[in-house]
Amino acid sequence: MATQTKAGPKKIDININGETTTVVEGTYLLQAVLDAGYTVPTLCHHKDLTPDGTCRLCICEIELKGKKKTVTSCNYPVREPVKVITNSEEIKTHRKKLAEMYLGRWPNVEVIQNIAKICGATDNEKYKSELTDENPKACILCGHCVRACNSFMLQNILGYAGRGIKRHMTMPFGEVDPYCVGCTSCAYVCPTGAIQITDDLNNPVDPELIRNHGMKVNAEMATLDDQQCRMRQVGTANIVEVMDAYDLLPVHNFKFGKHPDTHKIDSKVMKSDYFTQGAADACWLGCSMACAKAVDGFALKTGPYKGEKVVVDGPEYETAAGGSNMGFFDLDYIVEYNFYCDTYGIDTISFATTMAFVMEAFEAGIITKEHTGGKELKFGAMEEALECLHEMARGEGFGVDVGQGVRWLKEKWIKELGADSNYLQDIGMEVKGLEFSEYVSKESLAQQAGYSMAIKGPQHDEAWLIFIDMVNNQIPTFEDKAEALYYFPLFRTWFGLLGLCKIVWNDVAPGDNSKYPPQEAAKIPEHVENYWKFFEGMTGKELDEEKMLLQSERVFNLQRIMSYYLGHGTRKDDIPPLRAIGPVTEEEYLSREERYDKQMKEEIGIDPARKTVQEKLEITRDHRYKQYNKVLDAAYERRGWDNNGVPTLERIKEIGIDIPEVLAMLENGKS
Amino acid sequence: MIKVNKKETVEWREGMTVQDVLDIMGYIYPQITVTVNGRLVQREDYHTHEIPDGADVNVFHLAHGG
Repeated sequence: MATQTKAGPKKIDININGETTTVVEGTYLLQAVLDAGYTVPTLCHHKDLTPDGTCRLCICEIELKGKKKTVTSCNYPVREPVKVITNSEEIKTHRKKLAEMYLGRWPNVEVIQNIAKICGATDNEKYKSELTDENPKACILCGHCVRACNSFMLQNILGYAGRGIKRHMTMPFGEVDPYCVGCTSCAYVCPTGAIQITDDLNNPVDPELIRNHGMKVNAEMATLDDQQCRMRQVGTANIVEVMDAYDLLPVHNFKFGKHPDTHKIDSKVMKSDYFTQGAADACWLGCSMACAKAVDGFALKTGPYKGEKVVVDGPEYETAAGGSNMGFFDLDYIVEYNFYCDTYGIDTISFATTMAFVMEAFEAGIITKEHTGGKELKFGAMEEALECLHEMARGEGFGVDVGQGVRWLKEKWIKELGADSNYLQDIGMEVKGLEFSEYVSKESLAQQAGYSMAIKGPQHDEAWLIFIDMVNNQIPTFEDKAEALYYFPLFRTWFGLLGLCKIVWNDVAPGDNSKYPPQEAAKIPEHVENYWKFFEGMTGKELDEEKMLLQSERVFNLQRIMSYYLGHGTRKDDIPPLRAIGPVTEEEYLSREERYDKQMKEEIGIDPARKTVQEKLEITRDHRYKQYNKVLDAAYERRGWDNNGVPTLERIKEIGIDIPEVLAMLENGKS
Repeated sequence: MIKVNKKETVEWREGMTVQDVLDIMGYIYPQITVTVNGRLVQREDYHTHEIPDGADVNVFHLAHGG
């Protein structure tokens, strides 16, 4: 699968004050100079903000292709080899004069005094005037707050007003802006204390602790997101093309993991043709990630609002991948089903996975137009699928059946149509009655188990381990997988317990996260710590991994016991359909024949050479279910559950939930 | 022959760089860390860092999404 990856940056040799040093292409000159050990004064520069070049203290002289000029080093990206002088007499004179002027205006502000010292400016009186502000916490017009508002929060609440000597900071029309959410970013970056936070409406124990860790996330979003996940640009849709490249994007009811037309529905098209700039609906106003996107002025083609122009919230990754799963490679239809699912109150994942199942059943001849109300429901039948959605909402026709979901349809078709039970069980992508969310899990045992063991059914709220397992091969043994299936579900459940969003855990990562060994790096330790500090800042209680996992484990086990009590919490409820763990049909096997044959030879120890495809399918099925059950055994043991997936009394006591009500549920369980 | 993530094998050739291996594997993921024989390779060296025959290449994808 040869794919051209994006070329990384190059290294460039530059000469600073006569010494040669190597920098990465695009590095700002100020950073290069500081890294080389030289002192350059700055006032408007801030490590977490995009450079501005307004204070002009950081000027350096450069020589490029024989021509000399002076540049502000903070916003000069190095693209070619240059000669740099950081401290010529001319530059020193310039900086000293600027520092004297700053000192004349704000003589008692500490950061100004420090700058003056570096620049050799000592005369407070030289530029003293009626503008001189003796306040030690005066605003020095550095602009940090303006840029933080913009780059941390994508807002423009603060800005400059007035010109020349009348320039000052303000909100629009000099009034408190109602759109200011009080994120406190401006106060965080203010170098003088001119902006102060005066209240904390939620009465946290330690607001400073929360603010400092929150600002770390804001800074990462401002400086790293464009190179990492592009959440601000395209939200979770950024992984449509990634999943396709790794053979993980569900296509035609999870048969395949990629499609030649994925480029028609990927995040690049969404960004260029659909997402309306600046119209993120902001699921939580004040979130610096702002991953929610919207499509403005979308003209509907079907349904009760046909012809009207509407605003559509999304599409997110799952909705787009639900599209590929149904064979929709046209974003118009993906946005349309997105809108109507939202409008009708229907989950896009369950709709898409159920519809994909219906389409496969239709193509296999299990149901016909006679059952679908005349609709030719093949993969890619976008108009027909949308009509099913409208029928579902109206409570009419075949759409009513589709609305019952995969499990119900399987049972109905087996019972009423005499359909092949084994085949429907193999292709019906549900566990515990919930439809699978949109990832192909065939090549990752840990992902299969993470989804199928999830309390509420196969979705990523608990464990999403595809890359760790399948691509990185980080958790090769059953014990490794069991450990991941212990930690990650508990960690992700913990978000739910606290009502915290998971996105800022791993959809942006600290620039130096790779300093940790892979097993730890996968947890993103600094971001886990952020959450502990948020908790501590609110409650005053310190957390560590053990305490966090215990909080979660108590609830997680209680949920499992409740499932058990209701008849859905044992091993039989954790078994995925074959489609989730391997190929079902000959077409599917043949589409990845080389991979499956190689695995048969190397992992199972059977030579596929003289086997028919049907025989190979049987061998693969048998092997994969055996492997899956071994993962279950290991995961149950790690969780302190018995071989049937039921929490043991010993474990219940250890985590302190052995109260009479819980014990009664175990005693009287229907499972 | 070189080994990628202790699982996949890639035919080695003279002058092969980290970037070549990423291209062959189709690794387009934005957040990856590469080690060659246990030593970290910086992103800016992917074009120039040559991989010796028989090397153990590890490409760690920091999972996002899900």
